[in-house]
Amino acid sequence: MYKIFLYDGTFEGFMCAAFHIISEGIDKDRAIIVSKDEYQPMFIDSVREIQNDFKTFLEMRKGIIEKADSNVFKKIYYAFLSDTKDKEGYILRYLFLLLTHGKKIKYLYSNDIVNAVEKMAKNVSREIGKYMGLMRFCDTDEGFLYAKFEPKNDIIKPIAYFFKNRLNEFCWVVHDVKRNKIAIYDKKRVQFLTCSNLKLEATQQDEMFQMLWKTYFKAMAIEERKNLKLQQQNMPKRYWKYLVEKN
Amino acid sequence: MDIFEKLEVLGAAAKYDVSCASSGSKREKHFGIGSTFSAGICHSWTDDGRCISLLKVLFTNECIFDCAYCINRRSNDIKRATFTPQEVAELTINFYKRNYIEGLFLSSAIKNSPDWTMEMLFRTVWLLRYKYQFNGYIHVKAIPYASLDLIRKTGFLADRMSVNIELPSEKSLRLLCPNKTKESILKPMEFITKVAEEEKNFVSAGQSTQMIIGATDDSDYKIINLSRHLYKKFKLKRVYYSAYTPVNHDPRILKVDSPPLLREHRLYQADWLIRVYNFSADELFKSKDENLDLEVDPKVMWALRNLDRFPIEVNRASYEELIRVPGIGIKSARRIIKNRIFHSLDFEDLKKMGVVLKRAKYFITCNGKTFERYLIDLPPEKIKQKLIDKNSLQRPQQLSFFDREVFTSVITGEI
Ligand code: SF4
Repeated sequence: MYKIFLYDGTFEGFMCAAFHIISEGIDKDRAIIVSKDEYQPMFIDSVREIQNDFKTFLEMRKGIIEKADSNVFKKIYYAFLSDTKDKEGYILRYLFLLLTHGKKIKYLYSNDIVNAVEKMAKNVSREIGKYMGLMRFCDTDEGFLYAKFEPKNDIIKPIAYFFKNRLNEFCWVVHDVKRNKIAIYDKKRVQFLTCSNLKLEATQQDEMFQMLWKTYFKAMAIEERKNLKLQQQNMPKRYWKYLVEKN
Repeated sequence: MDIFEKLEVLGAAAKYDVSCASSGSKREKHFGIGSTFSAGICHSWTDDGRCISLLKVLFTNECIFDCAYCINRRSNDIKRATFTPQEVAELTINFYKRNYIEGLFLSSAIKNSPDWTMEMLFRTVWLLRYKYQFNGYIHVKAIPYASLDLIRKTGFLADRMSVNIELPSEKSLRLLCPNKTKESILKPMEFITKVAEEEKNFVSAGQSTQMIIGATDDSDYKIINLSRHLYKKFKLKRVYYSAYTPVNHDPRILKVDSPPLLREHRLYQADWLIRVYNFSADELFKSKDENLDLEVDPKVMWALRNLDRFPIEVNRASYEELIRVPGIGIKSARRIIKNRIFHSLDFEDLKKMGVVLKRAKYFITCNGKTFERYLIDLPPEKIKQKLIDKNSLQRPQQLSFFDREVFTSVITGEI
């Protein structure tokens, strides 16, 4: 019989669930961590709902950093943002490996779990890196800068913290259209909300700058060096949907 | 002329300028709009595959000079335009806050006089920093013959400054740029180096320069040697190479049908070997007239000439030896050293670490064994035949190749 641990879908909540499994000595191959929203009840399972407790989360974080280092912690966080199925299962097993191997976990190249987590984290980190450059904000009548995107992974948090630093003098909204998640910044702090029918329109003046940007983008291409394949390699089509210069 | 037309003309006129990197700024930030990100960020890629990270424009394309290779030279009959400082500043701010760009790259032809032009560049940057409180990245060109005082004032507001060396030898410069002298380029370069050493917050992301490749008969040896000299003497952050795109018909210029992109790419690779891998120019070249091998990368070229140093044993070689093996980069070398502490490495382990065995297998052993038996004692011509880089012959990598490499390894590397 499997032991199911339900958590609230957040990274902190997940870490709390993992904490219970590890500290209670539960067999990792019998434990399943699943987000509340995704869980489909099966009567043969034993189900426990884990509360998201920030202190427990901090304890886990401290533990991981002590056992390995903060890079490994960040890797785990990024892997958690991945849209890979059963990322919880991989990360839970990764945490068990971390308990036995400590720092050395980084060098277990041939281990499937380590490999999978490494891959997930890399994928997320790459997507964050791309979106730092490829997000496009527009001015709205409401006085916010507004940017839409549909990332593969759930990266609105790191993206929002990046722009908190970058666009610190403006109010802005970042909108993950696929997940109905938004981040709002009011020049002081960022808040994360879910929201299903957000409609903000670009101002007329903004449209002028969009046109200027397109003009510039076109002017920059060197005909003699045209290489659309290289362009797409660097800027895959899935990023184009909200890209001013590509629409 | 409206702003759309100006942007079109003055953007297009700047597109051959190579350096668009926006990394490495250490300017202190106090308040205001934006920030520089130490690794630099690409915001888009043009149809030719080069990344856009800065709003790269000329302030004006009206020029009193007449350089043979330049589209903007006085004797060309082309559409001319000139921005105002206000226009450039507003474009920059508005593009920046929409996340189109990291900042501004402002270059210019020489209108009226060198000082007039430099003054306009200074005013533009001043507006951005003081009126708009812009903290993002700014790269400004220093204009040859401009007063050092103007250059100095501008340098305190910029993250990076550059004077273009343009051509790899004085002879070529005399031939193609009758109005410029070696001194008009080296003097401001030296000045910027000197002030940057003495003062804080002066061009804190350093100085770079650019050289045109293929318009003259200068050899790769000369080019690389000059770069090495520039890195050393002026502590330049980067020397950029720009394959000459034929824009003018001028008998003084070597005839080029299309820009020598592959040669440009090989020069970047050689430059990288010298800056990062501690190769010397003399190791890479046999003579002053020598050019790099277009068929294989310069590390392979070097290794084939020095086969007596190979194969090296991966489990014992030093870091310096490892990074000289074709296919083993800095990252792989570091991984090898860290990992062999735990257990001795075989070829499978290397693959998993991301070592490109396609090249490396001819030059290494793992625990005394070669990758495949027949690899022992293969003559250099045979190895070369196998390593000829067909892809790059058809589609050379472009321009900011190495910046992108640095960029991705900082952002996505070992997180
Ligand atoms: S000074 Fe500069 S802009 Fe003027 S012709 Fe020479 S290279 Fe071109």
